[in-house]
Amino acid sequence: MAKTILAVDDSSSLRQMVAFSLKAAGYQVVEAVDGQDGLEKAKQQTVDLVLTDQNMPRMDGLQLIKHLRELQSYQKVPILMLTTESSDEMKAKGRAAGANGWLVKPFDPQRLIEVVKKVIG
Amino acid sequence: MTRKKILGSHVKRLLSGVSDHGRRHLTEVETDLIQTNLLLEEAIDKLSRNFMAIHETVSAQQAAINLLLAGDTPSAQQKEQLGALSAQVGEYVNAAVTSMQFQDMTSQLINRTLKRVTGLREFLGTLGAHGAEMVPESDNDEIVELLGKVSMALAIQSLELRSVLRKAVSQKHLESGDIELF
Repeated sequence: MAKTILAVDDSSSLRQMVAFSLKAAGYQVVEAVDGQDGLEKAKQQTVDLVLTDQNMPRMDGLQLIKHLRELQSYQKVPILMLTTESSDEMKAKGRAAGANGWLVKPFDPQRLIEVVKKVIG
Repeated sequence: MTRKKILGSHVKRLLSGVSDHGRRHLTEVETDLIQTNLLLEEAIDKLSRNFMAIHETVSAQQAAINLLLAGDTPSAQQKEQLGALSAQVGEYVNAAVTSMQFQDMTSQLINRTLKRVTGLREFLGTLGAHGAEMVPESDNDEIVELLGKVSMALAIQSLELRSVLRKAVSQKHLESGDIELF
């Protein structure tokens, strides 16, 4: 059965690119338009990996990670940040919040798939 | 300090504050617009090149398929080329996907510029509103008090504006970014 990835980004074009790349590699993708939407969708179903942007309206990526880590079912689910942010300060905040990795945009589809495979197989 | 000197120092502080504030924000607007332009130029260039490359490769594939349909037996070299063409299409599509992400970055830069322009308009609005309160009959003390209020209001607005303008996009090229697993 295909593994499911929750892709959270307020940019529709970015979500399209992520979904296109991951679906081509055989993953199932659930899209969310911001952190709040991501949290609601994560509660509705179990996903194998969360890939989230940082700067989004209503709820940003760091807040989403904190909320997810408070849920029993998401304590061990890998969460990767995919963002334009590249400062060490932000990466440290992501790590402290519970992120398992940091990918700086723009992403290369091949490299994204390699990382996802490494994290969830 | 004499009243005249106090008034002079308030006027000087207000004018230099407005000038610094305006110049700093306009410099940032300029920087963000230059960065947006660089990203757009590179995106258009890469997308055009990759779409044309995809078109050429698909045409070459079609030519090879036509040969097969005509009953020709492909040589080992032709078989190898056909396989390579599919891989090439994949590479061009990947490069196009990377370039397509310009929209995410440029929209963040444009939104930042819009917030800055809105903030500057409000800043100038505050200046105008306080200026309207100043009447020709005002004595020095009243003018000094008013200038103090304007400076304070502008300083607060300036801080508020800065707090919503954190730069989240430093990319100047559309090369794929770093990856770090914790």
